[in-house]
Amino acid sequence: MNILFPAVAILLAIIIAFRSGITRVAGGKILAFLALFVLPVIAVAVGFSGQMERATSTQFCLSCHVMEDYGKSLYVDDKGYLPAAHFQNNRIPRDHACYTCHTDYTMFGGVKSKWRGLHHVYVQYLGKIPKPADIKLYEPFNNRECLHCHEGSRSFEESSHHQKTPDMRQNIESSALSCTSSNCHDTVHDVGTLTDVKFWKGH
Amino acid sequence: MSDQVIEKRIRWAGLLVCLGLGVQLMTLMWVHPLAFMTFLTIGCPLTVAGVLLYLYSLVARP
Repeated sequence: MNILFPAVAILLAIIIAFRSGITRVAGGKILAFLALFVLPVIAVAVGFSGQMERATSTQFCLSCHVMEDYGKSLYVDDKGYLPAAHFQNNRIPRDHACYTCHTDYTMFGGVKSKWRGLHHVYVQYLGKIPKPADIKLYEPFNNRECLHCHEGSRSFEESSHHQKTPDMRQNIESSALSCTSSNCHDTVHDVGTLTDVKFWKGH
Repeated sequence: MSDQVIEKRIRWAGLLVCLGLGVQLMTLMWVHPLAFMTFLTIGCPLTVAGVLLYLYSLVARP
C-alpha cells in the first residue's frame, strides 16, 4: 500500500505532464484531478503514516551509530539486564523494542515521542553527539510504562517481591517506588559494562 | 493562448508531483532517520507544491 499509491500516482502524473493536452477534454480533466490531486494527497498521507510507523522500529532507532551499544545490550546473556530479558523473551515486540518501552503511554505520548525523535535526528546530524554511556533519559523512567503491560499479569500480581510491604503495590502504581531505581530492576542497558559480559547468540 | 498557459502549469504540476512521489518512493525503501528527513523536507514539499500548482492552474485567470 505504501508503494502502490505513489507508484500509480507517478505513472498518471507522467502521462499528464507529457500529454497535458488531454486535459482539454472531460476525461482528461478527471484524470488530471485524480493524478495531480486525489492520488498524491492519499500517497503523501499513506507515506507519512508509513514513515511514522518505521520511525518506531528497532532498526530505525539503532541506525544511528551512537545507539549501537544500546542495541548490543539487548543481547546480553544475563536475565538481570532488564532490556535484554524483555527482548530475548519476547516480552516486547523485537522489531519495535526501543519504542515499546521508551514511549509515554499517555494521550499525547506518541506525539511527545516523535518530538523527542526529531530532536535526536537534529543532534545526530547538526548537534554534538554524546558518548553512548553519557546518554540519559529526559526524565526518570516512569512506572506507568512498565505497568502498561505488567499490571494485571499473573507473574506481576502474584510476585511476593511486589508485596513485601502493605503499601508497596500502591507505591509502585503511583511511581513513588520506581521499578528501575529502587534496587529491584536497576540493571538496564548499562552500556559501559558491555565489554565484560557474555552475549546471547540467538536471533 | 490561455489553454497553453494552463497546460504549461499542469505540466509543471505533473513534474513536481512525479519528483515528490519519486523521492517518497525511494525513502520508503530505506529505514533510516535520513530517509525520514528526506521524506519530510523534500518529498512532501515537492508533492504539495505540485498539487497546489495544479489547483492554482484551475482557478487562476491566465
